[in-house]
Amino acid sequence: MKKNYILAKWLNNDLTKEELAEIKADPDFSNYEKIKKYSAQLKVADFDEEKVLENILSQKKVSPKVIPLYKNWMFRVAAVLVLALGFTFVMQNFATETQYAYNGEKTTFSLPDNSEVVLNAGSEIEYKKWNWNNHRNLELKGEAYFKVAKGQKFEVKTSLGKVAVLGTQFNVKARKNRFDITCFEGRVKVNYKDKEIILTHGQSVTFENGTQINESSTSSKPEWLENRIAFTKENLPNILDEIQRQYNVTITVKTGYTNELFTGKIPTDNLDIALQIIGTTYNLEPKKIDKNKIIFEKK
Amino acid sequence: MTINSLSETCNEIVFSKFFKNHAKSLRNFLFYKYGNKDQAEDLTQEAFIKLWQNCASVPIEKAKSYIYTIANNSSLNEIKHQKVVLEYENNFAGADKTNENPEFILEEKQFKDKLLKAIKNLNETQRIAFLMHRIDGKKYSEIAEELSISVKAVEKRIHLALVELRKTIDFK
Repeated sequence: MKKNYILAKWLNNDLTKEELAEIKADPDFSNYEKIKKYSAQLKVADFDEEKVLENILSQKKVSPKVIPLYKNWMFRVAAVLVLALGFTFVMQNFATETQYAYNGEKTTFSLPDNSEVVLNAGSEIEYKKWNWNNHRNLELKGEAYFKVAKGQKFEVKTSLGKVAVLGTQFNVKARKNRFDITCFEGRVKVNYKDKEIILTHGQSVTFENGTQINESSTSSKPEWLENRIAFTKENLPNILDEIQRQYNVTITVKTGYTNELFTGKIPTDNLDIALQIIGTTYNLEPKKIDKNKIIFEKK
Repeated sequence: MTINSLSETCNEIVFSKFFKNHAKSLRNFLFYKYGNKDQAEDLTQEAFIKLWQNCASVPIEKAKSYIYTIANNSSLNEIKHQKVVLEYENNFAGADKTNENPEFILEEKQFKDKLLKAIKNLNETQRIAFLMHRIDGKKYSEIAEELSISVKAVEKRIHLALVELRKTIDFK
């Protein structure tokens, strides 16, 4: 045991005098000395360090990118999620919301402020949910009844004109060249071309090809909501258009007809009666060719 | 602080200086271990390439232990360990020769040959520690650090190496 570390210390020239004396007494000491002496003369051939260094430095530092890559991957997933959420949010709030009522059906829906809208057959409404309470604007094609909650100005745009209200119930109909507005409650401001008209409850106005017809109404709701259409001084093509929309049928008139105007009500839930009324009024004979096709002939 | 050390290892001048200080001794260490010079040089290059590529995450003060850890963990699957082939410095021997008689010179040559053979037959751990001291002139503390062992363990290996060498030489 004692010898153990003494030899190592001796090789490292680390011995005290006593230890040195002790080791010199060892019969093998001369051989140890020779080993020490000759092993000091050993060498290993040099190698081309410059070339190796050059090889090393020419290596790209790939690894620092390893962590960013991982981060990037996470970042991409996060970004995709954020984008998807953002897109959904934008679509829900900024994109135009469209409600349709196809021929032969009515659609009832609520706006973000709980204003109620009933779309008559063959109509559509476009509006934006975003910031609805401050920008109550919508675009109407066809006919709709509005029960507007109180609040900011509520505006209905049509291709024919604009209707603006505060809080009220009113009906707007914009078909072809005819623009009908009926106010059932409150006040309605109607803009048609350069005219501006204020309607109070029970009043209605119709513009057709530039002419204005003022009417008053006693009903508290538009007739079409109760499955009737009320016509006021309406010509036959307009009436037939309305019937076609309500029942989703095609109507052809084979013969000439008079330009007489019709005032009255036609049911929207009974096609036979509706056709009969028109037939009697204009002296025509309705013929059902098939389920969706009707021809009016001369009696 | 970390940022500074990171960029230091990545700095080509700092890295080159570090390489020149340690490349040969690392190569020698691997040579004592495997006895194959080409393999030792390849492994040395690999260890430094790893350091270079990971320079951003290895501060320069940790670089030495980094390359020695790689070297210690290295292994040669493809090639069997070879016997370590060493040589003597010529000019050293020449200085001795002048005053000695031919008989002594012969004896000396025989002893040297025996010593080389004895070193070849040392076990790996003893050989590595012994040659790191004798050839690279490293202190025991340095050897201990590079091999990740204690100084006492280095002394024990050196001691056993000396005993083993002496026995082998005596026997022949």
